[in-house]
Amino acid sequence: MANYFNTLPLREKLNQLGVCEFMDNAEFADGVNALKGKKIVVVGCGAQGLNQGLNLRDSGLDVSYTLRKEAIEGKRDSWKNATENNFKVGTYEELIPSADVVVNLTPDKQHTAVVNAIMPLMKQGSTLLYSHGFNIVEEGMQIRKDITVIMVAPKCPGSEVRAEYVRGFGVPTLIAVHPENDPEGKGLAQAKAYCVGTGGHRAGVLKSSFVAEVKSDLMGEQTILCGLLQTGSILSFDKMIEKGIDAGYASKLVQYGVEVITEALKHGGVSGMMDRLSNVAKIKAFEVSEELKDIMRPLFQKHQDDIMSGEFSRIMMEDWANGDKNLLAWRAETGETAFEKTPAGDVKIGEQEYFDNYLLMVAFVRAGVELAFETMVEAGIKPESAYYESLHETPLIANTIARKKLFEMNRVISDTAEYGCYLFDQACKPLLADFMKKVDTDLVGKNFNEGKDGSVDNRRLVEINEILRSHQVEVVGVKLRKAMTAMKAIKTA
Amino acid sequence: MSQPVVHINNLNLQYQQMLVLSDLNWTILSGENWLLGGNSGNGKTSLGKVIAGLLPASGNIKITFNDTSKLPAKVLFVESWYQFKNLEGVANFYYQQRYTSQQAKETLTVKAELAYYAKEYHLNIADVEPILNRLDFTSLQNSQLIELSSGEHKKLQLVKALWLKPQVLIIDQPYTGLDLKSRKNLNLLLDETASAGVTLILISNDDDLPSSINRFATIVNKKLVAVNTKTDLQQFIPLRENKTIPAFLRTSPVYSSQQIAKMENIQISYGEKQVLKNINWEVKAGEKWLLQGHNGSGKSTLLSLINGDHPQSYANTLYLFGNKRGSGESIWDIKQHIGLISPEFHWYFDASATVWESIASGLYDSVGLFRQLPYSKSILVDELVEYFGLTEEKNRLLNTLPLGTQRLVLLARTIIKNPELLILDEPCQGLDKQQTKHFNQLVDELCSNGMTLIYVGHFESQLPNCLEKKIVLENGEVILIEDLKTDKAYKQLKDYALNFEPSL
Repeated sequence: MANYFNTLPLREKLNQLGVCEFMDNAEFADGVNALKGKKIVVVGCGAQGLNQGLNLRDSGLDVSYTLRKEAIEGKRDSWKNATENNFKVGTYEELIPSADVVVNLTPDKQHTAVVNAIMPLMKQGSTLLYSHGFNIVEEGMQIRKDITVIMVAPKCPGSEVRAEYVRGFGVPTLIAVHPENDPEGKGLAQAKAYCVGTGGHRAGVLKSSFVAEVKSDLMGEQTILCGLLQTGSILSFDKMIEKGIDAGYASKLVQYGVEVITEALKHGGVSGMMDRLSNVAKIKAFEVSEELKDIMRPLFQKHQDDIMSGEFSRIMMEDWANGDKNLLAWRAETGETAFEKTPAGDVKIGEQEYFDNYLLMVAFVRAGVELAFETMVEAGIKPESAYYESLHETPLIANTIARKKLFEMNRVISDTAEYGCYLFDQACKPLLADFMKKVDTDLVGKNFNEGKDGSVDNRRLVEINEILRSHQVEVVGVKLRKAMTAMKAIKTA
Repeated sequence: MSQPVVHINNLNLQYQQMLVLSDLNWTILSGENWLLGGNSGNGKTSLGKVIAGLLPASGNIKITFNDTSKLPAKVLFVESWYQFKNLEGVANFYYQQRYTSQQAKETLTVKAELAYYAKEYHLNIADVEPILNRLDFTSLQNSQLIELSSGEHKKLQLVKALWLKPQVLIIDQPYTGLDLKSRKNLNLLLDETASAGVTLILISNDDDLPSSINRFATIVNKKLVAVNTKTDLQQFIPLRENKTIPAFLRTSPVYSSQQIAKMENIQISYGEKQVLKNINWEVKAGEKWLLQGHNGSGKSTLLSLINGDHPQSYANTLYLFGNKRGSGESIWDIKQHIGLISPEFHWYFDASATVWESIASGLYDSVGLFRQLPYSKSILVDELVEYFGLTEEKNRLLNTLPLGTQRLVLLARTIIKNPELLILDEPCQGLDKQQTKHFNQLVDELCSNGMTLIYVGHFESQLPNCLEKKIVLENGEVILIEDLKTDKAYKQLKDYALNFEPSL
């Protein structure tokens, strides 16, 4: 199989990368009708599979699950999840032939095997639904021409997909139709109906393409979302230990700080986050983040280039073939870092203290969000897509670090994201070595404002505020956040 | 005379820019056990928290512990509302979650929770066994916290407090959600705790109190007023003016079917544990049902089937509003016929919504408001806000209001649609007597227009008059269905409810 994106002429590459439209509510007026009475068969019953299925059934749709024989006979967790909630469960042979829509919610790595197994069983004119486009775009999976191929990707963990649905809302969702596989022209109508069935239409839906979704999703998760949060957390912790800050305090500041800081990001974008700092601290954080942007820009560009050329997926698939050698080695290495092994101390850290004593993370987040966004947009991805894959998802990932540090983050995200995260982390740490030598505890561990009188130059402050607020990620963000203001705040610390 | 246990002098408390308590004085002597009652929102809960050091206040509070006592020198405040988190420290649950089976285990078991508590307070796990037994809690040790009903959560809070036996024990709303039997046992346990040397302060408006309660007080105009008997407390609860109910609630609901709910041989189980067995029940349009049963008997699960909240309803034979469940309807199609309140629903409700938004959200059956209301609907919300006396609070967030006020808001939410079916699962928890009386009158009036009602209530004094049929559950089975109007006058119903103690 050849990388699908690379088989396209430049004109078509740009065309598909540029699909991006924030959909109006009125587009969903037809509800779930396009799927009413159709047999929906979900492959896999993990967190996404179960929760999407519960929502679809509660929307009046006909849902059942198909699992591999071994999972059924071994009564594995996926089998229990489905049967104990009274779903019909069967083997591929039993359920796929009568399915109108087959929903593939297995991990990326299994996609080729799963699709090869189910495709011959799928009936003429049926639909195959993905929630991530890796298999189609990067692996170049060819789907039978009579089959419609669509994507519906809720941009939240499975548990949130369910929780928001039952309270009468939903989570932001991305939908797409594969242009090579829309023989009857029904793809978009079905994707919209599925989106209504999971509740996504209430929280903002972005019409994208398989190509745009994959290329932006990979970029976001490797750089700002997972890679930079990991690098930034480890470097910050190590710096505090080096400078004699109490280890328990340092561990807690890093573990929960990123969540508290990005909560401000969620509500007010980059400028909202920066506004939580005093004026002097804001100017400092601005200057530090400018420096970080200059240092890291080539690395962000390399990641985007490798994603676009297919080089990233090529080396990752090499690692798959190699029994995940690199992935497992890096995972073990992350588990051994001092940050991971030091439990958060039993100290109280106030909400504002997380900003004042962790200026360095504020600077990392601003630099990472803006760089990821800028690099994606330069590569032809539309600003709305770039926003979702950078700023929007950062608080969600930060939340997983607050739960159980980096191990938890890497457990929750996909193996593809985890692999890309380590790749970035490995390259980023040496890149920042010189920068980190200059960093002292005023940026991380102690209150930056301490011993300063707080006075600033008016013109400098106005200029910085202007730069922050006029950045394109802020302009797009204001518009998109309006559609999702009702999302419940996720709280842990 | 020994030193007073609690001595409060000129206490002032500001909360959210409002003065809640002002120059309050209170002395609690050894051997005294107090009831703090009176109208909802008078500052009772805040005072309890201040004594326990949970809210900062100005003035003098002196607690004198008995050095010779073996009991922990501690003031414990038991919140009216329970809290729990999942294994990852998140308290972000939704109320249907306990009905869904997920292999990834989310919360601790009761047993593990008690073990943590024992470790934290250096308690002996053997000492908790008799308390668990007497509150009928032993069989729940392997249940996960998320699986417990609200009454069971309340018991868990009480078990912990009675186990710790702090020298001063303040319990806010000790009886919320407890069935009659548990309530009697709790009173006996509290009496024993008091005779062991614990000073009790109960914050409640209930009638059946432990006999060790020997002092009574309320808060009037931000100051403590001590009275002689609990009956004397009633005079301080403001009477509510009788308002006419809004016109849109004086019309009969429009029924889409004469059959509201019909259950045929319903079975619900989680793994080995069966929670509903062979349930056959039919509710017809306009009927008024009382649903009773002990804590954990399956009442909430039964109601969740009717409200479209239970995943296992798809595998059962159940008809709702004339349609077979699982025949292509969505849960929103079902909910639009129903106004529901329950302790769980309140617990999981979005506390960051305003009063007005919360009431309006009832029009769309959502938890929180996610859309703009057309003018024709928003005037209905305004009318109801006014009727419930919530005009001053209408733009405030729910989580800044006393529990009783929050409850009133959610009660208004249940009727905003003038629904065909009202499901009121212990609706009057946290309300004072006047509010309860007023709300039950409203229910009677709505029902006289033809609304269908399913009412869950343990307390005889909190039932509306209109109830005409009764169904009783025990251990997941129906043990009694009877017509209350044919052979019994309403007074007898009250007596029956009072003495209702199946299979003791």
